[in-house]
Amino acid sequence: MIETIRFGAIVVLVAGGLFFTLVSTVGVLRLPDVYARAHTASQADTLGAGLTLAGVALALGWQSATIYTVLLLFFVFLTNPTAAHAIARSAAETGVEPLTDEEGENR
Amino acid sequence: MYPVADKRLLVPLSTSVTVRQTVGYAVRSALEGDGPAELHFVVAVPDDAGMSGDTRHLEEADDLLERARTWANEDADDGALSVETAVLGTDEYLFGPRDYAESFAAYADDNDVDRVVLDPEYLPGATSPMLQPLERELAAVGLAYDEAPVERPARRERLVGAESLDRFVGMFGISFAFYLLLGDPTYWFDLVTGVVVAAIVSITLSHVTFSIAPRRIESPIRTVRFALYVPLLLWEIVKANVAVALVILRPSMPIEPKLTRINARVSGGLPLLSLANSITLTPGTLTVRANDQRLVVHTLIEDAREDLFEGRLERAVRFVFYGREAAAIASPEERGDAEIIRGDEW
Repeated sequence: MIETIRFGAIVVLVAGGLFFTLVSTVGVLRLPDVYARAHTASQADTLGAGLTLAGVALALGWQSATIYTVLLLFFVFLTNPTAAHAIARSAAETGVEPLTDEEGENR
Repeated sequence: MYPVADKRLLVPLSTSVTVRQTVGYAVRSALEGDGPAELHFVVAVPDDAGMSGDTRHLEEADDLLERARTWANEDADDGALSVETAVLGTDEYLFGPRDYAESFAAYADDNDVDRVVLDPEYLPGATSPMLQPLERELAAVGLAYDEAPVERPARRERLVGAESLDRFVGMFGISFAFYLLLGDPTYWFDLVTGVVVAAIVSITLSHVTFSIAPRRIESPIRTVRFALYVPLLLWEIVKANVAVALVILRPSMPIEPKLTRINARVSGGLPLLSLANSITLTPGTLTVRANDQRLVVHTLIEDAREDLFEGRLERAVRFVFYGREAAAIASPEERGDAEIIRGDEW
């Protein structure tokens, strides 16, 4: 019984991870400029990798490799915003103008 | 050296080891010219003290100003010198170097001051080094300054003393714990090699890792608070991910990309890093520029922008680094610290 629940949870987590990775890919293809794409590219890292690694941790059960998985997630969460910021910043520095929506300029 | 035509000097004070020498220098340079001179001593109270009704900082400030007045009168002898004192920051949030510079500039404007004399050890309440960013901001607001030439006898002594021990112990603990996390904490070989490796790492790298020595009581408390912060951050990430995913998958794709500028009320390396990283980590908001506490954030959708202006992450980061009382702060929007900007004005 518990094994079935665990198996189900693993499937849900990995499927969720795949879904967000897919969304991220769709986003990178659909969104207009480098800044907007950086938002969605980080989705693949946060929830895409996050949910998948949670599934992996659950599948491995209580052993030392599980700790590595959690550590892996920790480092992904540290490096992902750094990389996203580096890309956005270098885009800004090379003079890429962000595509902005100018109508709602009344706030 | 410096032109001595200016007679009104602004001297920001803090309880540093060199404050006495700074006052002495200010008096000397004020009296260099002929005719009467005016010295303005100001103490800027940091954000948390001014607003929370905590009178301890205010009393300390008054005390320091009183002492400075006595010193100045001693040094002036018979010179024609008048001394004014003021406490700044009681009715505004003073946080980063920019706020200080602006507050000084406003005071300088009101009182016709033409030059600022800076104490090289100036450290008003904040824990991060203040002088260099402050000099940059003073130059930006167009206020002339010069640094008092002082001797710092105790500085080097202090660095090899308790602080570097704290650094060493902190670094040793972290690297040893990490080593055992990867290895086997019950196996003697891993324990021995762990001690050796951690010792080497902390001897060579502890000064690189900690630019400011960890506090014995505060740093562990911050670590615990950070552990409380992680679930909140994860929840925000999940919410933002779902919101962005919904927008991307809608055929019409109703995105509203906008650039915003947030003046965050956190200062120092680590708190700012945590905030900027958390903002970037949540999809929908992306830190493009970080210039001290001024963050230029690109927002993709309306919801993400509202969340950013509500400042929930900022409050959480303030809770982690400054405690529970500091977390109760007005949102960036209410403070007027959040604005939508155009692509060409950063």
